[in-house]
Amino acid sequence: MFLQQNRGSGRRRGRVRAAGVSLAATAALLAGCSGGGDSGRGDGTLIVYTGQAGDYQINFNPYAPARLDGDGTIFESLFFYNLTKNEEPQPRLGTEYAWNEDGTELSVTLREGVTWSDGEKFTADDVVFTLDMIDKHPTLNAVGFEGEATAVDDTHVKITFDKPSFLDGPYVLGRVWMVPEHLWRGIKDPSKDVIREPVGTGPFALDTFKPQAFTLKANPDYWDGEPAVKRIRYLSLSGNQAGADALAAGKIDWQTGPVPDIAGVEKNYPGYRAITVPMNQTVLMTCAEKDRGCEGPQTDPAVRKAIYHALDRTQLNELAFQSTSSAISPGFALPERDKALLSDGLGDRLAPMQPQVSEAAQLLEEAGYTKNGEGIYAKDGKAVELTIKVVTGWTDYITAVDTMGQQLKKAGIKVTPQQLSWNEWSDARGQGRFELLIDSLYQGPSADPFYLYHYFYSSETTAKVGETAQPNYSRWSDTRVDRALAALKGIDREDTAGRQPHFDAIQEALEEEMPYIPVLTAGTTSEYNAEKFTGWPSEEDLYAFPAVWQRPDHSEIFKRLKPAG
Amino acid sequence: MRYYIRKLGFYAVALWAALTLNFFIPRLMPGNPVDTLMARLAQRGGSVDPSVRRAYELLLGTDSSEPLWNQYLSYLAGLARGDLGISVSVFPTPAAEVIRQSLPWTIVLVGLATLISFLLGVGLGMFTGWRRGTWLDQLVPATTVLAAVPYFWLALILVAVFGSALGWFPLLGGYDVILDPGWNGEFLASALYHGTLPALTIVISSVGGWLLGMRNMMVSTVDEDYVLTARAKGLRERRVMTHYAARNAVLPSVAGFAISLGFVVAGSIITEQVFSYPGIGGKLLQAVQNNDYALMQGIFLVITVAVLGANLVVDLLYGLIDPRTRAGG
Repeated sequence: MFLQQNRGSGRRRGRVRAAGVSLAATAALLAGCSGGGDSGRGDGTLIVYTGQAGDYQINFNPYAPARLDGDGTIFESLFFYNLTKNEEPQPRLGTEYAWNEDGTELSVTLREGVTWSDGEKFTADDVVFTLDMIDKHPTLNAVGFEGEATAVDDTHVKITFDKPSFLDGPYVLGRVWMVPEHLWRGIKDPSKDVIREPVGTGPFALDTFKPQAFTLKANPDYWDGEPAVKRIRYLSLSGNQAGADALAAGKIDWQTGPVPDIAGVEKNYPGYRAITVPMNQTVLMTCAEKDRGCEGPQTDPAVRKAIYHALDRTQLNELAFQSTSSAISPGFALPERDKALLSDGLGDRLAPMQPQVSEAAQLLEEAGYTKNGEGIYAKDGKAVELTIKVVTGWTDYITAVDTMGQQLKKAGIKVTPQQLSWNEWSDARGQGRFELLIDSLYQGPSADPFYLYHYFYSSETTAKVGETAQPNYSRWSDTRVDRALAALKGIDREDTAGRQPHFDAIQEALEEEMPYIPVLTAGTTSEYNAEKFTGWPSEEDLYAFPAVWQRPDHSEIFKRLKPAG
Repeated sequence: MRYYIRKLGFYAVALWAALTLNFFIPRLMPGNPVDTLMARLAQRGGSVDPSVRRAYELLLGTDSSEPLWNQYLSYLAGLARGDLGISVSVFPTPAAEVIRQSLPWTIVLVGLATLISFLLGVGLGMFTGWRRGTWLDQLVPATTVLAAVPYFWLALILVAVFGSALGWFPLLGGYDVILDPGWNGEFLASALYHGTLPALTIVISSVGGWLLGMRNMMVSTVDEDYVLTARAKGLRERRVMTHYAARNAVLPSVAGFAISLGFVVAGSIITEQVFSYPGIGGKLLQAVQNNDYALMQGIFLVITVAVLGANLVVDLLYGLIDPRTRAGG
């Protein structure tokens, strides 16, 4: 119950938790919090709720895992990559970049006339200092940077790599936060400093910090002009449900996560709108590879594919996901964003929304399974009976697996949901001690399915059962996929024709084997106050991925918002 | 003297046993901090490249294959220096700092609430015991019912009535977020205002226990000979009640109070959670969810020391107050 903090997944999709505690918060916020907290209303302060449960502990080090904020707001990268569209990145501190032919040298032109918020000038030396710093400190190097940066002059930087690194571009350009050399030079161990007074080039600067809330203020000297939103306050509440209720009481202007009756947001929350963007794929993860120690019926591709065919996705979407999910491709390219990359060689471009029980039966029977007395398929005396692990309190997933249990029973497959605490569940997932579990696959630093394939299907990112896989939890790998991934690393991302055969090969291999059984593409829903602020991303103009916890996308949205009226 | 040495020796052993359990029990939990952190980052929609894991393993120092025994020794050595270690969930903040930030909130809230509840319970118990057989007896079942209501349920009802329906009190948080924490009137008033409902929850649910204990002791002391003697001397009723009966009847409650003070530090996790109160309960929850061993150990340590300390003080005081407890055999 209340012990299930809304941590990660909560933030991602905001699981609706059934908890007495949430009720309290509900009541609390519905009442309108008469005792204060009204601050910020009406003075143009944007109030956001990122899912923070409990107090904040000060940390504005852009390289610390427990940082509160700063990516793109206080500290900037060279470019901004829009996750929702495969388009040229937006210039931030950089204005242009170019790769050499073989992808080993990246030249970046920097913006002129940028100053740090303490008045010092931003130069190429700061960029080189930052890149050297993360290269030197493996603890800061969360982007896996392995290049060598040199300053050509004040506004030009050259970065060289040992091997073709086209696909490191979005990391180096979009996820490395430039820090001021004149202040950071003196920090002995940058991974252990919480940077109480952050100095950056970004559109916002830290205003005040308190354990219950912190506030960013507009940077008047920002190179792109002072942002129209003057203050952004981040609130801590007691959890997701509290977020939804704060929204109902008009206490927050933007939160990401489902609320009851998403379709009726405009009616139920006057002045507010909702936007749902498909981004992560809901899957049934299987421990698929026998050679790496997986056990159970799901190690047979026929069983995995039978499950794929037997699911009634329309019903799942309605019952578990408030119809915010959408179709999924068995090749795992996003049906909308990556439309151009969908392989023609796929049997199903999109997974069937209606169940195909007879096809499931046919697959199993061809693989030598026969129905036993209970109507469950079995082979060699072993029935196709599986457990699905799901986290206690993640009600949408629990509803989904319960529904799947009924759907699959019709196809002669027995699945039993098993609820676990989050820690236990993530441990089972990492170690490969599961038959099936429900989770979602996530995307990389730019709108390119390569990253997802690299994370979840590469032999480099997996491990034997009993060792921690990061994050290819299925333990499955395939030489066709590995070869294609290696080849893609050496091809410029602009060369779409050159990349397509490799994407085709990967998608076809995935459809054939299905180590992650496609369920649906999950939508991420945000609710925002359209009456108080204008300039929010819309389906027509999706200039950034609209999720308040998605850094640095949130900074792009903060930059473009304007107080209404 | 030997009595005190024996007592101190016993408490030293109890402390060591508690510290050892503090160390081992969190490590029996599934998962490890790096995996938890990684999964959390991934689920924030972030792209978690495999190299992130390597970076954080190095950062948090959890990939060491150091045997548990060595970790245990360095944990004890760290404690001796007053070093609780670095919190993983809010890395790189030391666990001691996290505890320092939230402990005062819990101590003041739960401490004051416990004190109020004790005074109220003992006072009412004295009267009901003195006037047994009158309508005052109804207080006993009434408060016991309130004590039987689960904490969080009571908290929810208070929130629904006084926060939601009547709007008299704020419903969340420890203070108004626009104010600067510090020793200024405005902030203190805000903290007091925000603390009222959580404190009320604790008082209402615990006052029944004090009342019942005091009343029953009172009932038996009013039948003692010295009370009869006092009455025979013609002392005023009030004086007999307070100076003769209540003074003796309150002894067990005082011991109980000292022990319950030890539990103040443990706070009341549920109450704090319901009210989003910035106390130690929320931090303990955070530590458990993130496999943050250092923070968990730190909080358990503070709780253990507080409980043991309170018990020790009571034990020693009892030796003074009542010489019989010191006698051998």
